[in-house]
Order: sequence, then structure tokens, then C-alpha cells
Amino acid sequence: MKKFLALVMALAMTLSLAACGGDVSGEQTAGADLKVGAIYINSKNDTAGYTFAHHSGIVGGMKDLGLDPETQLFIVDEVPEDKQQVLAAVDTLVGQDVDIIFGISFGYIDAMSEAAETYPEVIFSHGTGYLSNETNFNNYFGRAYQARYLAGIAAGLKSLETGNNNVGYVAAYTTAYAETASGINGFALGVQAANPNAKVYVKNLGAWADEVNEKAYAEELINTFGCGVISQHCDSAQPQIAAQNAGVFGCGYNSDMTADAPAAHLTAAIWNWNVYYATAMQAAIDCEGDASKFVEKMGGPAYYGGLKEGFVDASPLTENCAANTDKAIAAAKKLMVDGEWDVFTGVKLSVAADGTITQADADLVDNAGNVIVAAGGPSVEDGVITGTMNYLVAGVEEV
Amino acid sequence: MGFHIVKRDTCPLWKKACFYVAAVLAALVVGGILLFAMGVNPFAYYSRMFTMGMVGNKIAYKAFENYLKVFVPLALTSVALSLAFKMRFWNIGGEGQFILGSVAAAAVALKLGPSLPSAVTLVLMCLAAMLAAGLYGVFVAALKVRFGTNETLLTLMLNYVALYLLIFLGETKADWNFFLQEKSARPVFEDFSALASFPRIMLGKFGLNICVILTFLIGALVFVYLKYTKHGYEISVVGDSAGTAHYAGMKVNAIVLRTVFLSACLIGLAAAFKVGTAGVLSTAITEDVGWTGIIVAWLSQLNTAVIFVVSALISVLHFGSVQAASTFKQVDSSFANMLQGAILFLVLTADFFIRFRIVRNQKGGKQ
Repeated sequence: MKKFLALVMALAMTLSLAACGGDVSGEQTAGADLKVGAIYINSKNDTAGYTFAHHSGIVGGMKDLGLDPETQLFIVDEVPEDKQQVLAAVDTLVGQDVDIIFGISFGYIDAMSEAAETYPEVIFSHGTGYLSNETNFNNYFGRAYQARYLAGIAAGLKSLETGNNNVGYVAAYTTAYAETASGINGFALGVQAANPNAKVYVKNLGAWADEVNEKAYAEELINTFGCGVISQHCDSAQPQIAAQNAGVFGCGYNSDMTADAPAAHLTAAIWNWNVYYATAMQAAIDCEGDASKFVEKMGGPAYYGGLKEGFVDASPLTENCAANTDKAIAAAKKLMVDGEWDVFTGVKLSVAADGTITQADADLVDNAGNVIVAAGGPSVEDGVITGTMNYLVAGVEEV
Repeated sequence: MGFHIVKRDTCPLWKKACFYVAAVLAALVVGGILLFAMGVNPFAYYSRMFTMGMVGNKIAYKAFENYLKVFVPLALTSVALSLAFKMRFWNIGGEGQFILGSVAAAAVALKLGPSLPSAVTLVLMCLAAMLAAGLYGVFVAALKVRFGTNETLLTLMLNYVALYLLIFLGETKADWNFFLQEKSARPVFEDFSALASFPRIMLGKFGLNICVILTFLIGALVFVYLKYTKHGYEISVVGDSAGTAHYAGMKVNAIVLRTVFLSACLIGLAAAFKVGTAGVLSTAITEDVGWTGIIVAWLSQLNTAVIFVVSALISVLHFGSVQAASTFKQVDSSFANMLQGAILFLVLTADFFIRFRIVRNQKGGKQ
């Protein structure tokens, strides 16, 4: 057996070395023969959660462009955030002659950056990261805080309707990651726009996914802190289910969680990953085989789409929502889509009972009393929202 | 019509070999049926798996390098575990010992790497990893010889202590935590590949990592150690019967402590090879070798030479499965784990038929 294997390997190596001299560059890539590679943190056969959302987005994006996922998509899944294993996955995909590789997990960052240097003929696109180069390596993420702000409005109006000012939030992390901090802050500011007296209590899971504690922490927020609406930044729908079991309300995340908790769910902050994936694959096709043009075709090294691009959104409102929630959310969304206003600025929105929105200058203050943005000031920079936001806004308490 | 089980006195080598080969083939058939049920052509899948996707691959040399990166830690860890298992000391703590070894090696690389020559750093990394892992292992052995504690439970639980230590180091941004990158706002392990990487011998484009050669060398040494030295003899006597060993005047406690220390040291060395090749820590640094190594050692019946063959095959299984799964959308990378389980289960079944045979009861109750 060993000899046989050695033979096979020797044969394979000779063949490959012979093949090496030839056609590495210069081939034209049209849409019909674009080969897409993807590296996932969990199984591509998942039916919910982070990997599932990305996989659906990639498959959906391919279909949007008329590409065939059956023959044009190559996946290495269950790759942990381990540089050597990510690089091996890249080698596997490059060995299949893929044109573009998506890495979906933050911890792939150094491996993706290194691989982009090793393989300049391949495009690398890294989700949730912040590294890039000027040619074949970009990163992508979305303004989830905008969608969370909309969900916050729904939660705030619900808290007004029920007369319970306590809102709960089960968070993967709090200030350790800008992603989680900006999510909590976006949601809390939305809540406060509708109900200035509302208080947001946050429980820190310390893990991106932990179904048992996701449920337990939601129950604790409801029972101990009297929360009447439960929002979440975690993988499963357990907090929504806990809300339904306790007869209170909730806002999901990642995907529309109405089916999981029909009696509790208001709206979820959702991602439409296919929006990005279709954009990136189209750019890869437009490169016509020259990977170094990718960043230029994408219009920059960091894609940061929001409500405007349809990359994030609030899922369709359910009947559990308070009156005029639809009007308020539509008005706030329009401001952000039109680029007239954004969440982390020195301008505060107020939602009236009839769903109309008014703007007023106000300091953006964190919960230690520091002024983040003075009244009337411009939005904090994208780099802060994605990278260094490590505070929670006033009215938020970590418990 | 009944049957009963009779112990075999002997089983010729060719027959044993047939049983084992049949068991592995049966496992592949089981996997094949599953693949077929998922709508995948089993022959296409297996041919990609066994060639590890290297046929028609323009960077096949990289695939083979990556294969060896899977093979080296597994083979060395399995050899190390077999030392302890020979003595019937059930060291289930390969994972924990590997992790502590990795952390120690990484600490040396990050702290001393910038100021020392690379070769010195690498040697120090190996020594630090061996010491850390060795002490972690011998701690349990000491408790066993002193208080008669159960080593299976203790080594098992200490795996999680080590794992959570590693996760803690990986997630805690602090001034003291030199394992993480300073520039990153999020916690990311610091890269030390430029400071301390094991050298590679370039054969054309293929780079043969020196760890591969060292691993085979250590395997040969362990083989000699077990087979031809007094220590090796003592290990097998203690394994057969501690009482006999004691009666023969052997210092059983010292032998246990010494052997477990050596076993854990070698696991630490495997860890040093791993981080010295990867150039960075990660919370998945072990790639489960502490667990898989137990299976390999067991499938090899603790025979050092066989361990190398079985490690090579199990690595083909794992690495090849990833390669094959990337082109078959229905199959994810965990197929290898299922197949490995089936192989273990069926080889253990074969083991049973090698030791025993099933005999039909004859009429009248006579044999």
C-alpha cells in the first residue's frame, strides 16, 4: 500500500512539475468560466448560522450572474482560524485553478494577506477583515449598525406600547470587538430615538455561538432585569425563542427569525450577502484574467455596503410590531439610503407617535459620559466603526 | 442452532494481514455506500482522496508539502503515545501536552527569536516545548504513583485546562500578552514565522521540511529504545504486570515516571515541530493529533514501524478528504472523521476475529 501510494505521489509530482512550466498566466476569464473558491469556518451543509448565510450568499450571487455553483464553485469547509490550515486550504483551491477566493472568517486575515502575495494571479477577498492591498486583495463588511438602528426603532416603539422601558441584548461580545460594540450602539440609539427613557441591558456571551447560554442569558435578561424586548448578536434563534416562551418580544439577527418565534419576533437586522458576492464576482469577471485590477474594479480596497446597497436591511415587520413602526422605519431608512443622515453622528432622530421623524443636534455620548461626537458633528469614521469602537453609548449597561 | 466463541491459539501473520486489509476495505465500502446515497460517485471521490487532488494540479508540490504538515505531528504524537500505552499508562492527554508544548515553543520564538540566531532559537523552542509538555505529563504520573489516581481521567481533564489556557491567551488583549499582535484591534496571534522556522531542503519546487527527516529519525530511535534497550524491556514488563516487575526488582515508580515524561516530551517536540513550521499559534494548533494519535497507536498495535505506515494512511484520509470534498458539493470535510471511525470500528472487529473464532455448536452438545 505504501509503495503504491509512493508511486502515485511520485507520478503526480512528475506530472505536475512538467505542467508547471506552461500556462500559469495569460488565460482569459469570462463569466462562463469564472472559478470561485471559498473557505468556510463551518460546514457548507449547515442549515443556519454564519457559514450558511455566506454560503447562501455566494450561491445566490453566482445565480444572479448566471454562474453555475455545481461546476464553478469550490469550497474548503470546516477550516479553523489557523494560519497553516487556511494557507493549505488556499493551496487546495489554487490547485483547482480558481480565479477568486473568499475567506469568510475574521481569523483568516494573516493567511489571506500572505496568500495574496504568494498568488498574485488569484483574487483574494476577506470578509470582516481590515487588511488589503492595491491589486488583488480586498476586504468586505457591511453597515449592520444601520439595520440594527431600524430594528432598534421597532424595539423602542414596542417598549413604549408595553410601557416597559427595559430592553435586553444578548451579545457575542461587547467592547472587545468593534463589530459587536457598533451593533449594540446602533440598536440602542434606534431604541432611544423611539423611547428616550429606554434602557438597554447587555449580556456578554464571550463566544460567537453558544446556544445554551444564548437562551439562558435571554431568560436572565427577562426574569432578572425585566426586559420586554430581547435583541441579539449571536448565531442561533434561542434568544427569540426564550422571548416567546416568556411572552415578551424580540429582534433577531442575521436572518429573519419570525419562523422561530412567530409570537415574539418584531423584525431582524439581516444581511443580504449575495449583494456583495455578486458585486465581487462581477468585478472578477471584469478583470478579464488580470487579478491585479480587482481592487480598482471594486472601487477601493474595502467594501462597506449598507442599507443603500441593500447589503443589510430590516426583515419584513411582523404583526407584533407597535402601530406606525413601518412608517418610522421607512422614514429612517430613507434618510440613510439617501445619505442624508447616519447613526453615529451629532444629529439625533426622534420618532413621534404617528411615526414621523424629526432631527435635532445632540451630543453622541458614551456610557462613561465622554462625548464621542459633539452636537451637529459628522459621523465617526468607518475605520472606527469597523476597527476601534470600544465603547457603549449612554443608556446601555453591561450586566 | 447456537454458536460459541473459542480463543485462537495462534493466528498466522498472513491471516492477520488479510483480516486487517478486509476491515479497511469494508470501511471504504461503508463510506462508498454513504457517498452513493449522497449522489456522489464513490470511485471518483476515492480516487481524488487517495491521490490527494495532486493529479493535474499545477501546484501539486504544495499539496504534498501540506500533506507532510499533517503527517509529521500525527506520526510523532502517535509514537510518543505508544510509549506510554506499552506500559499500560493510558495517556489520553496528548492534546493538552501538545498545547502546552506549542505555547512554550511560541513563547521562546516570540521572546528570544528576535535576538538569537535562528538555529539556537529552534533548538530552544524544542527544549522548552519538551519540558513544558513533559512536566504536564509527568505531573499526572506522579499523582498516580503517589496517590494511585486514575491517569485516564486526569490526562483527559487536563486537556481542557490546557485548551482553555490557549483560548485565554488567544482572546485576551493585554500589555503582558505578547502572544497577540499589538497592531490589531481584535485579538490575533502574533506571527513569528520569520524569526523561527524550521529549514527546508529544496528539491526543485518542493521543500522538504527538516522536521520530516527528524521525525523518521526519532521513530527509528524509539524503535531501538523499545526493542533493544533495558529501558524498553522494563516498559514491557511493567505493562504486562507491575507486580512481576516489582518482584523482579525493578523500580516500577521510577520507570513509570521516566516513561511518561519521555512520552509527553516527544508530544511536546511534535508541538515544537508544528509551531516551528506554522510560524504562529492558533487555538486549533493540535488539529486533534492528541485524539487521532490514540487511534493510530491502537490501530498499529503499538508497533513503532507500523505507526508510521498507519499515520501516513490516516493523514491521506484526512488531507485527501479535504481535497476531494472541495470538488463535491454534497460532501463536507467531516467525511474523513466518519471514515476514520468506520475503519477503527471494523479493525477492532477484525482484532476480535484474530483473537477468537466463532464455532457452531454441534448436535448433541459435542464440539
